[in-house]
Amino acid sequence: MIEYLFMLTAIIGAVLALMQRDLLKSAILTGITGASIAILYQYLLAPDVALTQAIVGAAIIPVFFALAVYKTRRMEE
Amino acid sequence: MIIDTQIASLFTAVAMIVIGIFAAAFLDNLIKKVIGLAFIGDGVNLFLISMGYKAGGIVYIYLPGMASEWFSQNASYPLPFAMVLTSIVIGASTMAVMLGIIIVLYKKHGSIKASKILGE
Repeated sequence: MIEYLFMLTAIIGAVLALMQRDLLKSAILTGITGASIAILYQYLLAPDVALTQAIVGAAIIPVFFALAVYKTRRMEE
Repeated sequence: MIIDTQIASLFTAVAMIVIGIFAAAFLDNLIKKVIGLAFIGDGVNLFLISMGYKAGGIVYIYLPGMASEWFSQNASYPLPFAMVLTSIVIGASTMAVMLGIIIVLYKKHGSIKASKILGE
């Protein structure tokens, strides 16, 4: 039952990440989407994919985006 | 529930792919374009995982004491899971290369707007 909540969280996080003007907020919302998809993989009977997605999607990819935002400019003009 | 978990996961995957295609095609910021490409990759991985799901099944680990016929009827299909594991890591590394190219473009042009870099 609770997996429907994580599907909604993934979609809403994806939409909100594209609506922000501050790109750092956008990177953090990408991490929320990756974490919800990782929990969704656990409910879809794939625990090894869930482990990899939890590390890569919720930690590494937002850090990459945050580094790219730090090297360029933060606000979208 | 009205729709089962597999159909709902497929709809979620299609929604992620549509959001990603919209971002990569219509937004002007290069970092948001890359975020859209990441969403397309997540959606495709979720689609493949949902195809291998079996409702009411078990995780594909063969423990001692299981009958082999019962295991083959109840375990979820393990091949896409092993391949998606590779696909997630490759997606992260290609995205790192894209962000590196964006940083180089920013140092050369002073902007991360696609319309300004292309000179329109």
